[in-house]
Amino acid sequence: MSPLEFNILSIALFCIGIVGVISRRNIFVIYMSVELMLNAINLILAAFSKTNGNMNASAIALLMMAVIAAEAGVFLAIIMQLYRNKKSIDSNDHTSLSQKEFS
Amino acid sequence: MLLENSIFALLAIFLLIGSITVIWAESIIYSAFGFLTALIAVAGLFALLNNSFLFLAQLMVSVGAVVVLTLIVIMTMNLKDKNMPKEPYKNIWIVFSSLLLIPFAIMLYKGVSKIGNFKEIKENFGDIKSMGEALFNNWILPFEIVSVLLLSALVGAIIIGRKELYR
Repeated sequence: MSPLEFNILSIALFCIGIVGVISRRNIFVIYMSVELMLNAINLILAAFSKTNGNMNASAIALLMMAVIAAEAGVFLAIIMQLYRNKKSIDSNDHTSLSQKEFS
Repeated sequence: MLLENSIFALLAIFLLIGSITVIWAESIIYSAFGFLTALIAVAGLFALLNNSFLFLAQLMVSVGAVVVLTLIVIMTMNLKDKNMPKEPYKNIWIVFSSLLLIPFAIMLYKGVSKIGNFKEIKENFGDIKSMGEALFNNWILPFEIVSVLLLSALVGAIIIGRKELYR
């Protein structure tokens, strides 16, 4: 086990998250992809912490875990409100903030 | 050493299968279970990196709270097929965007490929005492800011999720 393997794994996880964000239209899949990207950052921070030999990067990872929990709560509330508004979880249907008219 | 490597390979396989399930699965409940698998694998990788406190926090926060909240929301919505978005070109989009992301991944790999090996770790690395020392000596201001952030996220989630917002 070297840090390079952990870093490659977290890069793969981050890229899978980006692919999920830009290629799917389901809001839930977009939400879970964003969570996967945040977890990839957590993983690379833990690997840096062991590489440096002190706990500072792990402290950042712990603080980011709180950010992940806050983001999950707000994002799920937004998803429920969007679904209550239009009865759809397709991201192409929710264009009420855009200035152009998509039809 | 062989045991550690085999555990790492097993966790990596679980992580990749779970995260690919998240973006590829047709039904969202399968996506949520893939998400659960990926988060548990990340917790196992934390334990493999001697970070026992991060392992516990990941199990409690991400697996215990975030995934359960996601599953509750999915099951409460009770989505039928007519509410799901139609994605006829999903596979083409996924393959094409992953081809587009290859240069980005190579760039990230160049960024991390010069990092040296693991250092010889101290005796109490990763337990709750050293984590608390790092958190309350060097990261006390971000800790307080995160507490304010959690409070504002709580209030914001309640206000956004109210029923009479759009009336």
